[in-house]
Amino acid sequence: MIIETVKNRIRIKDKVSSWEEAIREAAQPLLEDGCIHESYIDAMIENVIQNGPYMVLIPGFALPHARPEMGVEKTGISCLKLNESVLFPENMEVKVVMALAAGDANTHIDALTELTDLLMDDDRMEEFFNSQTESEILGILK
Amino acid sequence: MKEKVQSFGRALSGMVMPNIGAFIAWGLITALFIATGWAPNEKLAEMVSPMSTYLLPLLIAYTGGKVVHDHRGGVIGAIATMGVIVGADIPMFIGAMIMGPLAAWILKKFDKAVEGKTPAGFEMLINNFSLGIIGAVLACLAMLLIAPVVTALNAAMAAGVGFFVDHGLLPLASVFIEPAKVLFLNNAINHGILSPLGIQQVEEVGKSIFFLLEANPGPGLGILLAYCIAGKGSAKSSAPGAVIIHFFGGIHEIYFPYILMNPLLLLAVMAGGASGIFIFNLMGVGLTAPASPGSIFALIMMCEKHSYIGLLLGVAIAAAVSFVIALPLLKFAGKDTSLEEATAQKDSMKKESKGIADAPAQTATGKISKIAFACDAGMGSSAMGATVLKKKIVAAGMDGIEVIHTPVSSIPADVEIVVTHQELGERAAHSNPNAQLILITNFLAAPEYEELVEQLKKTNL
Repeated sequence: MIIETVKNRIRIKDKVSSWEEAIREAAQPLLEDGCIHESYIDAMIENVIQNGPYMVLIPGFALPHARPEMGVEKTGISCLKLNESVLFPENMEVKVVMALAAGDANTHIDALTELTDLLMDDDRMEEFFNSQTESEILGILK
Repeated sequence: MKEKVQSFGRALSGMVMPNIGAFIAWGLITALFIATGWAPNEKLAEMVSPMSTYLLPLLIAYTGGKVVHDHRGGVIGAIATMGVIVGADIPMFIGAMIMGPLAAWILKKFDKAVEGKTPAGFEMLINNFSLGIIGAVLACLAMLLIAPVVTALNAAMAAGVGFFVDHGLLPLASVFIEPAKVLFLNNAINHGILSPLGIQQVEEVGKSIFFLLEANPGPGLGILLAYCIAGKGSAKSSAPGAVIIHFFGGIHEIYFPYILMNPLLLLAVMAGGASGIFIFNLMGVGLTAPASPGSIFALIMMCEKHSYIGLLLGVAIAAAVSFVIALPLLKFAGKDTSLEEATAQKDSMKKESKGIADAPAQTATGKISKIAFACDAGMGSSAMGATVLKKKIVAAGMDGIEVIHTPVSSIPADVEIVVTHQELGERAAHSNPNAQLILITNFLAAPEYEELVEQLKKTNL
């Protein structure tokens, strides 16, 4: 499930200069695929500024997102893997940023449920944080 | 039995009390602008009938529906009630009180049945059309079914009053007149039976008691005064204003809701009305023409010149009897509710003094059926948190607990526990002030989840 939506939307970078850039970079594939408009990226960043980094779900992993009406065309998830972690507000270190675009309240729930399982699995997350290539990541997500 | 009457009364009062302001607005407009009012104005008086026919019943229906099934329930309640309103040619308060919650309940059942079966992306379409179609059907049914019922009720009331009049048992006519008033059937009786009889009598002897049977403001005054003393919450605080509108303004309708919220009070108005009629009869009191509106001033103006003392005495006795009976009924029936309210009030005062951010001190009690995870968008973090908690709940062997995810700004009212991120606590408390609030910093691995599961084990297992 999650692999289908993330596939072809994975990027790997050594480092980014700020958490804002991390979100922009992570969301880029969604923008290119027409899942979201620019406004949605701004909304995700604004959301972190307004509400704090609660989207850093576990140490090292962030799931930026905003409301569907902020510019979602269709549901999709993309992934940015950083080799060097970036600091989110409140000194939260993040190495994996998955941008979530949800078209409505329900269609993405299966993917999120799968993602939850992954996030709760320390061993697989360790692999995730250390992964270097797209195929490695796809292997973990499978 | 007492329990049932009380909870029935509470349900009715829940539909009426939030709308008392509308009753007052309508009462003021009526008292001032109708032809026999204090500042007659034909143009402004045009509002009187539409307000009592449409506005007030629809507000009641909406409120009643909303209690059952939130906003959707309110909307369908109002739609279905239109059938009742148009089907009957009198203001249909009782009809609204039945159709509002009933329609909402039917829609709720439907929503439950299709929940989860809606194809993604079609939610809005199905929601709107299901409400529209079911609402239209219910409105038609209500219209076809209700008209004959109302006609039958009218005939029964008229026959009842007629029976006592024919047999010279005038005071007992109150047994029919007072309930008929509260059901808004008073005009049928007053103008259908009593006024013609009264006019005939005036032509013969120059005065008639028939004009007083329904127009006596005494019984209603007694009820309202009892509420001033023994009422609770908004019923108590609004009662003094209602006294003025009722007794001096002559708008009796203002006291009907106070009886509807505690139907036992019908006994009080029946006894009050009967005592008043007894005095009028005894002292030969009569009016020379119908008193409309039924204000104490209108009564005095229409009073036959030898009848003043008897008139005032009859009104006073009626008020006193109704008051004396209503007072213990209110106190007796209100014990447990007042406790409930006092507790709720205490809680809210506590919250206010601490500031709303301290709301998490509140703990949900009783069986929990709905928990909401809230985040700003209601899409991501909250959805994942909900997944985690659902698993824990199932692992703990509990079922029947619905865990939803929602934007923090629109947490449904029927949610008992809200889980949200610390930063969003204040907004969550604002959005649903009644739910227990659990603040976490990590949606996936919050230690609070274990505590919550323990709490649920206590309430739900």
